[in-house]
Amino acid sequence: MSAPFQRHRLTPWILMAPQLGIVLVFFFWPALQAIEQAFYVEDAFGLSREFAGFANFQAVLSDKAYYQALGTTLIFSLAVALGAMSIALLLAVMADRVIRGARIYRTLLVWPYAVAPAVAGVLWLFLFDPTLGLISGLLGNIGIGWDHKLNGVQALALVIMASVWKQMSYNFVFFLAALQALPKSLLEAAAIDRAGPWRRFWTITFPLLSPTAFFLLVMNSVYAFFETFGTIDTVTSGGPGGATTTLVYKVYQDGFVGQDMGASAAQSVLLMALVGGLTWFQFRYLERKVQY
Amino acid sequence: MATLRLNGIRKRYPNGITALHDIDLDVVDGELIVVVGPSGCGKSTLLRTLAGLEAISDGELTINGRRVNELEPAERDIAMVFQNYALYPHMSVAGNMGYALKNRGMPKDEIRRRVAATAELLGLSELLERRPRQLSGGQRQRVAMGRAIVREPQVFLFDEPLSNLDAKLRVQMRLEIRRLQKRLGVTSVYVTHDQVEAMTLADRLVVMNAGRVEQCGTPMALYEQPATLFVASFLGSPAMNFLPVTVHRDGVVLPNGTQLALALPVAMPEGRVTNLGVRPEHLVEAASRPDTAAVLDVTVEMLEPLGADMLAYTRLSGLEEWLVVRLDGAHAAHEGQRLSLTFSLADCHVFDADGRRVSMTEGAAAKAQACQ
Ligand SMILES: Nc1ncnc2c1ncn2[C@@H]1O[C@H](COP(=O)(O)OP(=O)(O)OP(=O)(O)O)[C@@H](O)[C@H]1O
Ligand SMILES: [Mg+2]
Repeated sequence: MSAPFQRHRLTPWILMAPQLGIVLVFFFWPALQAIEQAFYVEDAFGLSREFAGFANFQAVLSDKAYYQALGTTLIFSLAVALGAMSIALLLAVMADRVIRGARIYRTLLVWPYAVAPAVAGVLWLFLFDPTLGLISGLLGNIGIGWDHKLNGVQALALVIMASVWKQMSYNFVFFLAALQALPKSLLEAAAIDRAGPWRRFWTITFPLLSPTAFFLLVMNSVYAFFETFGTIDTVTSGGPGGATTTLVYKVYQDGFVGQDMGASAAQSVLLMALVGGLTWFQFRYLERKVQY
Repeated sequence: MATLRLNGIRKRYPNGITALHDIDLDVVDGELIVVVGPSGCGKSTLLRTLAGLEAISDGELTINGRRVNELEPAERDIAMVFQNYALYPHMSVAGNMGYALKNRGMPKDEIRRRVAATAELLGLSELLERRPRQLSGGQRQRVAMGRAIVREPQVFLFDEPLSNLDAKLRVQMRLEIRRLQKRLGVTSVYVTHDQVEAMTLADRLVVMNAGRVEQCGTPMALYEQPATLFVASFLGSPAMNFLPVTVHRDGVVLPNGTQLALALPVAMPEGRVTNLGVRPEHLVEAASRPDTAAVLDVTVEMLEPLGADMLAYTRLSGLEEWLVVRLDGAHAAHEGQRLSLTFSLADCHVFDADGRRVSMTEGAAAKAQACQ
């Protein structure tokens, strides 16, 4: 029935076992626990719990702070994904044209990715420290008072900058690889077909990068939703006044700081549904547009 | 409608390789020039400098008398068909063909009309909505042609446009390109390394070698009067036979000591080593020419029946290379057979030690060599 090279039934499973084990233990198990937890109310010490139906969800969905966090998350994610992708694309296009010292240039641009989120956060925190910071000092000189500990908009801008800076390298690597894989003759043909550099970029290069851009959009959305926790925690801890509290951060705050396990679990279930839905939407509607 | 003039064009790549040395060429209006030469001789480089994709290091390029060295590819009004076709994968066939017109700011209706007309001409009307990856190799090639034709440019450039097709399609497309080029009357430069393609397509042929023009002229002129040993060996299939001979008082001597009573019409000092070139079709059996004095005794080592003809690969003692003879297809030759061959003086080409043709009749070689 199956071709000779597919006859080994057991080997693939043995090879996949470690990875499957990790995914089961560290993803599916906690996820199932969270779903279960979301339907119970627990006492403050975690000694007893009681089935509560949809009460936790009701409580979360009628909380104004939850909607604030949702709004913050949307603004934050959109800004991070678009910012990190467009800056990375710009840098990749320029790096693609560099001939001398190209490797040094590329290595330097990839470095931020190797920096841990918390360290990246601290770095930006120093630069923008209201009293000691280098950049906040410069901003002060030109009359812009910087204090992200009081100003919610500035705080949000700061975590966006730090998160963009961190994610940019990842996008840069992918965009650069995609650019270098583009057949040169296509751009030459376009040049002969009377398209200037600007037009060549928008009618040839950009459409041909769209599969890469789509992949990065999915990855960046997930990054912005989940992996920016460390950055936010070190830079603003969700403040001031909840201005930088994203959904993930709120899950952490309510669950581990506020000790309200039921509400926290309900939020993470909602968050999972939200990201799942978003990813489904991206694949369903955007992916079709980027195939050629 | 355009004339193209190359005046001492030189191309030096940044890595120090000089790919073109002082190329001089005049292309007259409506002419199809074929540039032919072995791999790496600079054919693509020549086309790319004409198109403006590579900067010209030295010399002058003019189109209709106007210097275009400094112009961008877009400003030269040139269309190019690439070897890999370079079709835009994310655009339909119609999109590919209309791209240049759109960039020019032509109204949509006008674009549609012109694309439809060109598609009709090339038999692409049914395929206009398809993407390049949904086409066969031959269809892609046609689209690449269509993209060039629809622009009605001053000059067409073709870089080995048929090399990715199978043999049959290649012959068919070759005829089609010839027909289209004559019909449209657009000045064209066509690059190939296939000498059959070159001979059949060209109004004039340019043979290149190591970045230099070896010779240029009509295909028949080059075939009959090759200016150098290189051109003589490059054109013609199977290639010309070369006999290294030493000039002697009453003729020439072969390496094996055989004397041939050939009165070379030009005075050459005795003892001078030269190359005598004879094409396979000009070697005939000595029995048919009782008056000849130049007889080569050879042994047949291998036969290649081609139908109408039969190629005999024969061995002449003292010669390393085979002597190839084109016999009649019905010839009863067999391997190991001995043959006596001869040729007439009028059919042989003499080249001196550095590969230049030694002129047999004054003026003929000089005429064939003029490129301007
Ligand atoms: N971008 C480049 N940089 C440096 N040298 C190059 C470059 N392109 C081509 N060359 C060199 O220039 C010479 C001519 O190359 P070209 O591509 O013009 O040859 P060609 O005649 O088109 O060969 P083919 O029949 O294989 O296509 C070669 O020696 C090649 O190595
Ligand atoms: Mg080439």
